Amino acid sequence: MIATPRTFLVPALLSLSLVVVGCDKKSPSPYDQVQKATKGQSAVSKEAVNGSQFNRYFPKSANGFSVVAAQEKKGFAEHKVNKGGKNVAMLSISDTISTPASASKYKQSTSKIAGFPAVDQGQNGTGVLVGDRFQVKAQSRDPSFTKQDRVTWIQKFNLNGLSQLK
Amino acid sequence: MSKSIFELVDELPTGGITVMAMKSLDTLIPGQWQNLTGFDNTIRAVTGETDEALIQQIGERAVALYNDKSQGYQRAYWLYDTVQSGSGLLGAAALANRIGQDTFLGFLKNVTPKPEKAQSIDLSVKLVTELVAFCQINGIPGDSIGDFLGALGDYSGESLMRMAALVCFDGLIPLGPEFAEKALGNVQSSNTSDLEGNQTYKSVKDLIPGDSSDDKLGFIAKSFDSTKGWMQNFVSSTGATQSGLMHNLKGFIDFTDDKADYVGALLDMNVKYYRHTGIQTLVRRLIERAVAEI
Repeated sequence: MIATPRTFLVPALLSLSLVVVGCDKKSPSPYDQVQKATKGQSAVSKEAVNGSQFNRYFPKSANGFSVVAAQEKKGFAEHKVNKGGKNVAMLSISDTISTPASASKYKQSTSKIAGFPAVDQGQNGTGVLVGDRFQVKAQSRDPSFTKQDRVTWIQKFNLNGLSQLK
Repeated sequence: MSKSIFELVDELPTGGITVMAMKSLDTLIPGQWQNLTGFDNTIRAVTGETDEALIQQIGERAVALYNDKSQGYQRAYWLYDTVQSGSGLLGAAALANRIGQDTFLGFLKNVTPKPEKAQSIDLSVKLVTELVAFCQINGIPGDSIGDFLGALGDYSGESLMRMAALVCFDGLIPLGPEFAEKALGNVQSSNTSDLEGNQTYKSVKDLIPGDSSDDKLGFIAKSFDSTKGWMQNFVSSTGATQSGLMHNLKGFIDFTDDKADYVGALLDMNVKYYRHTGIQTLVRRLIERAVAEI
């Protein structure tokens, strides 16, 4: 009997799954250098504020938008903004004590949101630096959430409260 | 040596039995799962950004965050990878003895499906692994069943696919339509020696909350009981049935209709859906954090 491709394929795949693949030469990656530099290293400063302390400054669900907590780590908290069950934006607060370059980009800022220096990053991100330390960002995840929406949502944070946080 | 996050994502398969098995579930959760592979490709898809310098910057922060063990991302990968290898180990050993001796259908005659109790423990341990990995990735205390339940309602994409595969491949196919009640009953009637003899449990037990096997068994049963409703609702709302799933799998695996439990064993050995979608979930969360922090 001649094996059909399908009846042949399954045993072939099964045998393959048991074979330990030998060494293959890896092509260089643009991330090789950072991998080498950061392996086993800390990426977050010990002085960073716990993410749980950021939650109270986030905007609340309103007008058909639901704001749902997504990640909470040392120096970082992120909430999703969903509409009609679909994720349309991400809101975040991060402590730039771990990432000084993130704070220094605001030195070139020419615009302000709610009195804080603001920058646009890429096509989908807008951020402000609060109290020279905490970066508050809004990022679009759907075309319906425009740059103007990002500015509006950043203004909904309790930015003045956050600026008092030590 | 452990792999970097970009290697793990770049090496995700675009085809093969794991990807085909998950694609057979697309009818239940249409359009939810695109098999997103490649590190830079994932950064583009998650952030919608196209500027190469920005993508590199996001990628570099994601690599650094993954490399910091205290951030929990490596532990989550370990869980997704280990729970899958542990569950397939027994089957792979049986399979190794048969390869070359039988035709595929001959092999099916000789493979022994897992007893219901072992399958029930597998299912519940995998569910707890999801809970613990979720907590590691999202920075929530490891025994927080309530937070996990709240988040399940918001699961989408590859995370929803992983739960769909768990319900279908480890629940509905091997245990039948009453899988949730059956598994809960089996877990509740298990003792610590049943648990300690289970390869899937042994592989991840150190990260299951609880000081003793007795505590861990209690946590597993409690977690399964709390999540049972979500699983039952998933089955009723998607219309998943054992025969429907088997029909879809027939597109790429040959078997006769009375071989449901054997198909369960076969999937268990060969379909690495936990590891595959676990890497996809993990890298998505890393990228979301990296782009927010840079």
